[in-house]
Amino acid sequence: MGDIEALIIRLAKDNAALQPAPHPVLLSLKWMGVALAYLMLMLLFSGIRPDFSQRLHESWLFAEMLALVVIFITTSFCAALLSFPDLHQMRSMVFAPVVAFTLFMLVLLVAWQADQPPALTPLHSIECTLSITLSALLPAAWTLYQMRKFATTHYGWAGTVALLYAFSVGAIWLRLYEVNDSIMHVLLWHYLPMSIFALVGWWLGKKIFKW
Amino acid sequence: MELLLEQSLQGNQRAYALLLIETSRFLRQFLIKRLNLTHELEDILQEILISLHKARHTYDGCRPYKPWVYAIAKFRLQDYLRVHYSDQLRQAIDFDELEESYCDYSSETALSYESIRVQVQMLPEKQATILRLMHQDGFTAKEVAEKLGMNQSAVKVSAHRAYKILKEKLGR
Repeated sequence: MGDIEALIIRLAKDNAALQPAPHPVLLSLKWMGVALAYLMLMLLFSGIRPDFSQRLHESWLFAEMLALVVIFITTSFCAALLSFPDLHQMRSMVFAPVVAFTLFMLVLLVAWQADQPPALTPLHSIECTLSITLSALLPAAWTLYQMRKFATTHYGWAGTVALLYAFSVGAIWLRLYEVNDSIMHVLLWHYLPMSIFALVGWWLGKKIFKW
Repeated sequence: MELLLEQSLQGNQRAYALLLIETSRFLRQFLIKRLNLTHELEDILQEILISLHKARHTYDGCRPYKPWVYAIAKFRLQDYLRVHYSDQLRQAIDFDELEESYCDYSSETALSYESIRVQVQMLPEKQATILRLMHQDGFTAKEVAEKLGMNQSAVKVSAHRAYKILKEKLGR
């Protein structure tokens, strides 16, 4: 008996009825549900910025928040797709976060142009990066843990998308909580670190998704 | 194949074995087209089959089976080729290092082969033969490789390892 035949017999003996992984849409909805519950909990403790409803109508904040939510949704769905070795045969969808992120950057660029006279830059700086990072740690760990249960064949991209997803939760929370209208500040201390962490995800993915 | 798939997902071991046999048949063709190293084909095929087994929970039977299999096969093949070529690169780096040490050893005229014959004989047989041929009989690494049916870099690597052992034994 050849090695392949022996292996097949061994694998067949190990086969039992398995619960197949849910559809990526369901998986993504589940992950988003958990993230939203976490976000609500965070807001419960921190509170929402007092001028939020007013600012939402007056400024570019609405467009920015909307673009952030699009990043949150697309990265969640893309992370679910990337958990499958064949990307659930929806290959073109895995680049959706790139489109969402470009759209987000465009919104910020236009908002920056429209910020005349420029809003006051807050006194704090790195504190925002630290807050986003700390608040994103739990969603990041949870998402990476969930994705590890499957079998991704795109380690780097899966890591990037997972961290972008987790950091979008942190970024949404801080934008809802912090009283700040300076686009320059959010670009430098919120979204630039978020992008850098997404790149770190490429390296992290290669370390933890091996199977 | 669809029937086999359905039964396999329900835990039928016989159907699963038949499915894997069918799968290995078309995967073999897939690998033959992409690999020059035919002696490695069986190893890669085994790795792919194990990966398919490990990832079987990511297949639900609601989408075509072959693209799922090929995605895993391509992934494992790329993984294998990456390791294979990085090994070759590492060997090439070792090769540079040992070229240097080879020059050092061959220029050490004070230490003749005769004076360390006993220590050489205590080396593993292949290493001892290589050193004897190179330093007693005066063959080049290329000639030794031809004589022993090895490739030249393997002879140099083997000689390099032998030098290291001797260096430790002789305390220099």
